[in-house]
Amino acid sequence: MGSKTADKDVRRYIAESAESRLAPDGKAYLVVSLKTTSSISSSQGVPAKEVEVTALKQGIIPCRYLRNIGTIGLDGQIKLLQSTVAVVGVGGLGSNIIELLARQGMGHLIIIDDDRFTEQNLNRQVMSTEGNLGEYKVIAAAKRVKEINSATTVSTFLERLTKENTQSLLTGARVVIDGLDNLSSRLAVEQACRQLAIPYIYASIAGFNGQLMTIFPGDVGLSSLYGSFSDTAPEQGIETRIGNPPATAAMIAALQVQEVVKIITGVGTPIRNQILLVDARECAIDRIELGR
Amino acid sequence: MPGNVLLTELNWEGEEMALITVRFYSLWRAYLGTDSTTLQADDVQDALTQLETKFGSRLREKLETAGVHLNGKIQDYSLILLNGITLRNLKSTALKEEDVLHIFPPAIGG
Repeated sequence: MGSKTADKDVRRYIAESAESRLAPDGKAYLVVSLKTTSSISSSQGVPAKEVEVTALKQGIIPCRYLRNIGTIGLDGQIKLLQSTVAVVGVGGLGSNIIELLARQGMGHLIIIDDDRFTEQNLNRQVMSTEGNLGEYKVIAAAKRVKEINSATTVSTFLERLTKENTQSLLTGARVVIDGLDNLSSRLAVEQACRQLAIPYIYASIAGFNGQLMTIFPGDVGLSSLYGSFSDTAPEQGIETRIGNPPATAAMIAALQVQEVVKIITGVGTPIRNQILLVDARECAIDRIELGR
Repeated sequence: MPGNVLLTELNWEGEEMALITVRFYSLWRAYLGTDSTTLQADDVQDALTQLETKFGSRLREKLETAGVHLNGKIQDYSLILLNGITLRNLKSTALKEEDVLHIFPPAIGG
């Protein structure tokens, strides 16, 4: 924020524009509208997310987050707005993840992908449309985030992750979330996250099934599934035969975003040192405790 | 389940073989029509051989009906964990009483 005076002005404008609203529980809350936060942001030259954080610190809820607060509290929403999450891969998982993180009110997203939309992406990649086939996925993702939430800022990287570039691309992220489609990139991301000492939310899908594991530095990780010598591990799985339907991608992406929210806000318990196996066909969810 | 009650079996040295549980997940659960089975075996390879005999043809038949053609054994297309540790990282493949094998196909898509 520019100066103490500007900060004071922002606080005053927010307080003056706050309105009382009733939440579904009948309790009254002070809220501030999107129109007001946008107007204060442009007139004061302050980023929208800082206006929203300033409001929340005064107990005034940006109206758009009113339905978030009951689960994570004002402090939780502030933490999310002040955090950076890296989304690696903008496929079925990644595009759903980005959509949800923008709506959740994440402060900053690092989005990494080197691919363009093709027709076979239309079934599950929520940012692909008939009109944007051929467009780079990161470009479409950045546009979509801006449409959903002008407070969420985005850095895009049109790059394929390798062992060499991964660590520098992920630097600055509080959490890294997996939207990848192959094992070697996942192993590179896991290694980089361990080196950067940040959590990595691994997930993958095939058919009606998905699996998820949050890996903190020091936790067991992908080697617990694929072995310590990744050159003997499969590069692709059964998804090459049974495909990736839309609802499976959305289902697992949603669980990944819940992990991000839990890690950053401190609410709930992340799925660590175990693999969560979700089977939509049989309506079964299992956890397996993992060892080394 | 009565079908899962096994009489104690002895190995060639006259020792009791370990009674273990095998849990299936994901597509294997749907195609094998069950989420678990029990068997008695000395080591992991013995257990996998028994599983192949009991379920292998059923799995391939189901997969073929679904238009998926896999010709190998169940273990060729599975991630297999013994008590939560991948077989790839195991130092010993000997089994003991109440061990659990977890078996599911790799899902790597996104």
